[in-house]
Amino acid sequence: MTRKQKRLAVIGGALGFLGLATALTFYALGQKASYFYMPADLQQATVAPGQRIRLGGLVEEGTIVRGQGTEVAFSVTDTEKSVKVVFNGILPDLFREKQGVITEGSFRQDGTFVADSVLAKHDETYMPKEVADSLKAKGVWQETTQ
Amino acid sequence: MLFWVVAALLTLAACMAVLLPLVRGREAGDSTGSHDLEVYRDQLAEVDRDAARGLIAAAEAEQARAEIGRRILRLGNQPTSATTSNGTAQRAAGMAAVLAIPLIAWGLYAFLGSPALPSQPLQDRLAKNPADSSVDELVARAEAHLAANPKDGRGWDVLAPIYLRIGRAGDAVIAYRNTISINGTTADRESGLGEAIAMAAGGMISADAEAAFRRALAAEPGNAKAQFYLASALAQEGKLTEAAAAWQAMLGTLPADSPWRSPIGRAIAEAERRASLAAGNAPADGPSQDQIDAAAEMSPQDRAAMIETMVAQLDERLRANPRDAEGWRRLVRSHQVLGNADAARDALQRGVAALGADSEEAKGLQAFAASLGLAKTE
Amino acid sequence: MIVETGHFALVLAFALALVQSTVPLIGARTGNERMMAVGGPAAITGFALIALSFAALTMAYAQSDFSVLNVWENSHSLKPMLFKITGTWGNHEGSMLLWVLILTFFGALVASFGANLPASLRANVLAVQGWIGAAFMLFLLATSNPFARLTPAPFEGQDLNPILQDIGLAIHPPMLYLGYVGFSICFSFAVAALIDGRIDAAWARWVRPWTLAAWVFLTGGIAMGSYWAYYELGWGGFWFWDPVENASFMPWLAGTALLHSALVMEKRSALKIWTVLLAILTFSLSLLGTFLVRSGVLTSVHAFATDPSRGIFILAILTVFIGGSLALFALRASSLTAGGIFQPISREGALVLNNLFLTTAAATVLIGTLYPLFIEAVSGDKISVGAPFFNLTFGLLMIPLLALVPFGPMLAWKRGDLLGAAQRLMFAFGGALLAVLVVLFFVDGASVFAALGAGLAFWLILGALTDLVLKAGIPQVKPSVAFSRLIGLPRSVFGTALAHLGLGLTVLGIVGVVSLEAERIVTMRPGETLDIAGYSLRFEGTQPFKGPNYTEDQGRFVLSGSGGQVLGEIMSAKRFYPVRQMPTTEAGIKTLGLSQLYISLGDATADGGIVVRVWWKPMVTLIWLGGLMMMIAGTISLMDRRLRVGAPAKRAKPSVDKPAASVS
Repeated sequence: MTRKQKRLAVIGGALGFLGLATALTFYALGQKASYFYMPADLQQATVAPGQRIRLGGLVEEGTIVRGQGTEVAFSVTDTEKSVKVVFNGILPDLFREKQGVITEGSFRQDGTFVADSVLAKHDETYMPKEVADSLKAKGVWQETTQ
Repeated sequence: MLFWVVAALLTLAACMAVLLPLVRGREAGDSTGSHDLEVYRDQLAEVDRDAARGLIAAAEAEQARAEIGRRILRLGNQPTSATTSNGTAQRAAGMAAVLAIPLIAWGLYAFLGSPALPSQPLQDRLAKNPADSSVDELVARAEAHLAANPKDGRGWDVLAPIYLRIGRAGDAVIAYRNTISINGTTADRESGLGEAIAMAAGGMISADAEAAFRRALAAEPGNAKAQFYLASALAQEGKLTEAAAAWQAMLGTLPADSPWRSPIGRAIAEAERRASLAAGNAPADGPSQDQIDAAAEMSPQDRAAMIETMVAQLDERLRANPRDAEGWRRLVRSHQVLGNADAARDALQRGVAALGADSEEAKGLQAFAASLGLAKTE
Repeated sequence: MIVETGHFALVLAFALALVQSTVPLIGARTGNERMMAVGGPAAITGFALIALSFAALTMAYAQSDFSVLNVWENSHSLKPMLFKITGTWGNHEGSMLLWVLILTFFGALVASFGANLPASLRANVLAVQGWIGAAFMLFLLATSNPFARLTPAPFEGQDLNPILQDIGLAIHPPMLYLGYVGFSICFSFAVAALIDGRIDAAWARWVRPWTLAAWVFLTGGIAMGSYWAYYELGWGGFWFWDPVENASFMPWLAGTALLHSALVMEKRSALKIWTVLLAILTFSLSLLGTFLVRSGVLTSVHAFATDPSRGIFILAILTVFIGGSLALFALRASSLTAGGIFQPISREGALVLNNLFLTTAAATVLIGTLYPLFIEAVSGDKISVGAPFFNLTFGLLMIPLLALVPFGPMLAWKRGDLLGAAQRLMFAFGGALLAVLVVLFFVDGASVFAALGAGLAFWLILGALTDLVLKAGIPQVKPSVAFSRLIGLPRSVFGTALAHLGLGLTVLGIVGVVSLEAERIVTMRPGETLDIAGYSLRFEGTQPFKGPNYTEDQGRFVLSGSGGQVLGEIMSAKRFYPVRQMPTTEAGIKTLGLSQLYISLGDATADGGIVVRVWWKPMVTLIWLGGLMMMIAGTISLMDRRLRVGAPAKRAKPSVDKPAASVS
């Protein structure tokens, strides 16, 4: 092989490799990316039971129910709709009523969302009640606007 | 002043950093070639070392030497193009650069900085001679002390009335509660607590405050502050006659030089004024909160009549002079307070229309109505 | 006065940076030595000014000067002194000032030790540093001035976010920034080469130690950040594929690639254009990382600063620097001459393969991190790309790369002998195979994945050791001779071997935790015990405790082994910071050998118990010990004499054996 052919072969090999990697990446994106929904979004979207999604919103006031052992149930709301979530485990430190959370998991057949992880926002500044309330009133929650 | 000297010195240093290289004569520069040659020589030495250590085979080393040798040959003799002489244009550019430093720095700092503001380390502020300190500073000092020694009853005892005087009623409530729990109850502390609770609630004497005043009276039956506020509580409930009677009774027992005499006098006058208003002397300018309160004391028929008169007067005035945002607020509130939501909404609509739907005033009015619990109208 | 002096010094440094970014450049273009010489003193003075500015801010923090807005927002008089000082860079403004401080520090280093660089290269490098510095100083002054004042000054601050009040976070950002910003030197060298249209031989010699130094710091920063998240966030995870983490990981991947390609360039003068491109990309990814963290454009579990105007400003900096340098690259790259040739199977070939895998891996991480932004812009859907995506793509790319690592150092330059290398690695391969079998048959609950992972880790570790053993000549020469040869090996050989060894340790730790971790979530009442991984844990109860600026409920646990012997006490706590009204979890961690037992407390239940989450994390410490090993390896390599640049012959001592200056 001449030097030029060799170089072409190397470049061809590298491109083939990159193509393969790109294909893998986009296949994985299609398979592994989980969509983020607010409770009101779920009306338009059809989410099959068992499909992994992220559900975000505010923890609705007065809905936190401690079950047996480590089980906790609460509702996530965006002030229009709310979804009942059950979670087994330790809630994050910042978890409290009217606090923004993201839960990840899937729906059970009966429409209850079973979360296997709950994230509360680690914010640099404590979100004052008024701000949270006004955001709530507008139906916009800080997490989704960022 | 010191700051300006420091700033000037810093500026001078920065200018010199640019100026000195520009004016300093320098020996003729090295050609780039000599730098490269140095690196290649170093590489040759390294190949020798590696070969000596047996890290690379002799043949490999020979090959590497040949390659480096070729690079050295390729280097050749590149001419040095560096100059040390300054052309006029370049000299001008250099001087412009030196001048740019103070111009940009001082200009920008004049815009951004606060040169007159001294540094204020907390320790220094707290250690300052108390006589020179403002009340805020004294309070901060006391707070710092109490944060470190929260069980210091005397500190809370001193701080509580100060909080009250500078209007920090919420903190005063906490301070009074602390001193009561540490030092025990006294009439002064309990009446102070009651006053703080009332102040925190915007002057309303709540059941909590009332209980505190009653505890004060139990500790010291003649406590003037407690008596005064309990009478005020009666007035707030609308029992004006009883309130006035209680205050009158206080005047009888208080010493002649008591500081409470003048507030009591004013309170009695106010109670009498309200009582006479309640008797039906309608005011000229819409119902005030007091008048509505007073109206609550009248017979239902009288009340209805009085309210209608007042609201009608206000309404009329607003028709004549519609650009009165405050008047519209009063009208909306009157209807709303009296439980006439439809009329309130109607007033709101007319008010918004009169003020101009997009005006700031109309928005303010709507927000005000919303704060009264009146749904926004479309 | 101190505060305003700091403010003025910052403004002055900005003015000086503007001069530094223009005058030397004009000098290099026109061949005016005097103008070129301005770069050095300007860079050093600029560093001194920023250092003064940073010291003033630190002083304001230490003295709780609440007349400084930034101090009031992020400090509190009751905070321990250590956290008052580290709080200086625990917030957006202060951390950006630290960023600039490090940038100017590196510029000053180039100015001080760059006497042996060709004058025009040095002038161009310092000018490019000046651009970056001026851009970020302007960013500070325009959108996030740390010296903004507050009058009248309040008497108490708002306190620092409690999760940032931690010694790990005191060191983590400076390390990370030393890494990020260290790559700015490589970037400046690359752009300077493009401006000049030629690459000097000294170029690669300079770029490599800088890359190495930056890489060492970045490795340390990432490892420390990972450990901080592990113990402070209370989830027990060591890596979350969080955008903020990815932001630091992408430059690390690209920087690792740069480290290897710079080696080829230095040794063989090959891959010049690619190395220049990689140097640009690495720093671009560092800038992108800064942008992602500072703008809050991506939802993150620890997004600290979120302010759109800052985001737009950094985006503008990003566009100008990345776009500009890539455009310059497109324009000028063809003028750089191609270098030495090599066979596909050779050390160079292996390093090219390494670069291919690493840059592709960096690209997948980039795509995964930015894809949610892209989708939201296009369709409005909000998606999250999390661990499953990264594990699949990144994992698949890493496996072949890791498998190939031991071959690299075995191959000769220019033309390698694959068969010979394979033969020399037989021992390492046998050891790895043994590890697979042992894990498969003797470790309870181990999957095939765990066995293969362990095999891969041992392959790396043994391969690295084999390299050292062979270079010492062990099979051929007597042990005493071999030992002296081992001692005498160039430090860079040790560096390579130890870095690959550290990589193996990290892989082993990850495999151990991922495949053998045990987790229990239970409600415990005082006196109850829990069995996990052969240990038993008794809950003693909780008791309140008051810290300087927090209160906490401490849960005490007594750990005993299978035979009942007491191994120690573990304390886990739920903390509450009243100023910020924020609770945090303080995990209780007990290190047993290389493994750890990790306890975090949940909420109290109505019947007097408390929810307790306990993890058994086998070999977890290896993840960070491996990182530490890589740092040590990088440092050793930095001390290698070959990386010390020889002074030009005109110097007083023409000897090449005693270099007049060193870069380390």
